[in-house]
Amino acid sequence: MKEQVVCKTSDLQPGEIRESFFGKKNIIICRTQNDNFYAFMNQCIHQGAPLGKSLLCGATTDESTPGDYHYCHKDEVIRCPWHGREFDMKNEGRMLANPDKKLASFKVRIENEDVIVYK
Amino acid sequence: MAKKQIPLIDTDIHERVQYKDILEYLDEPFKHYMKNCHWIQEKHMPYTQPATAGVDRADAILPDGRPAGSDLAFMQEQLLDDVGHEFGILTGALDPSPSSMHGWYEMAAALATAYNDWQIEHWLEKDERLYGSVHIAAQDRDEAVKEIERVGSHPKMVQILLPIDDIMWGDPYYHPIFEAAEKHDLMIGMHHNEPPVYYGKWPRYFIEWHTLIPTAHMKIIANMIFNGVFDKFPKLGLMMIEGGFTHIPHLMWKMDQQFRDLRHEVPWLKRKPSEIMKAQVRITTQPAEELTKKEFMSLIDQMGTDEMLCFSTDYPHWDYDSPYRALPNMEPELKEKIFSENARAFYPKLPDKREE
Repeated sequence: MKEQVVCKTSDLQPGEIRESFFGKKNIIICRTQNDNFYAFMNQCIHQGAPLGKSLLCGATTDESTPGDYHYCHKDEVIRCPWHGREFDMKNEGRMLANPDKKLASFKVRIENEDVIVYK
Repeated sequence: MAKKQIPLIDTDIHERVQYKDILEYLDEPFKHYMKNCHWIQEKHMPYTQPATAGVDRADAILPDGRPAGSDLAFMQEQLLDDVGHEFGILTGALDPSPSSMHGWYEMAAALATAYNDWQIEHWLEKDERLYGSVHIAAQDRDEAVKEIERVGSHPKMVQILLPIDDIMWGDPYYHPIFEAAEKHDLMIGMHHNEPPVYYGKWPRYFIEWHTLIPTAHMKIIANMIFNGVFDKFPKLGLMMIEGGFTHIPHLMWKMDQQFRDLRHEVPWLKRKPSEIMKAQVRITTQPAEELTKKEFMSLIDQMGTDEMLCFSTDYPHWDYDSPYRALPNMEPELKEKIFSENARAFYPKLPDKREE
């Protein structure tokens, strides 16, 4: 199984995104406030925007009703820097508005201080 | 692998001024109002643009924090050099937008003059690929014509910019503006602004307004056509910017059907509305709906011409359309028309081909 150390855990703070390479693939590493790490291709599946410039943020949920926002998923959603499309890191990088679509993702594990990406 | 370059004629690029940058171009007393009295143009939108960085692409904001679109070198690197633009048409950032001001037209006219001078010095004369739009304060028709006379003959000014908001520009009161445009081989470029529609009000949510921007575009096209602008000024062309394009067949069919019934009211029309549109109205593509190739080709067929659409990116705004990804694959001949030749044929002042 191909795997690679892409950075140290201390290289990005909670709520931050870091660009890296997995082999020749340009990827992003995301760290949530709960110190979970995720890795995705650094390219939006819509028009190819660089996701390294996206925002890790929360999202309004489907529990909202007209005129009443319900907001959660703090820092678990990637919002594209161009069109704002939302991808749920905890749900395989699936798009909130269309869960049939998802970002290409990679597995991540932490050993000591190393962030290791693998297929 | 190097990205394939696209020799694009981009019909909507938003350069942005910061108020402090145009102070030196403003005459007194208007300079005083901006510098000391902190004047900014009135704005009404009750929402933000709820993507990730307001109206801008998050990755287009300058590393030093300046707003997206405010620096030529950064735009060259991120857009013009990266894509391989042949030409780009600057359309301003709509802030300031002199023709959208609801009063104090003297200030609007001074602002337009200052903006044009700033645009020429900092953009048009700094990059051979960039062409510009003449800003005017059209509410004061006669002052607007003076400004067109002042800068309209500049070789890199290709159109006059008018906002689509609460003024219907086809009204005969504004026709001297079109006469001046025709005199200087300038086209009219129209882009929606605030307030967004003739009625002047807002829906509750941004997504409603943004979805229905084409309705404002349809209103102004119908207004320009039925007020006889295009027969009165046969060399004039209208570029409708940033309304998308899937509404075009509907509008042509509807106007033609109405014209068959109601021609009596507008006897000055010498041609069917759809023929006028095909001859004198062009449409920028962004924001492109996501069509399949089959849907896209069907739409071109419904328009009855493949010479109306002109590709636009809307750089650096959040709903930017990538020249690589926004439209479906198409035959090379059609792609060449939409990505460059339709715009080249439309703007008389664009060179035939850029000299290498």
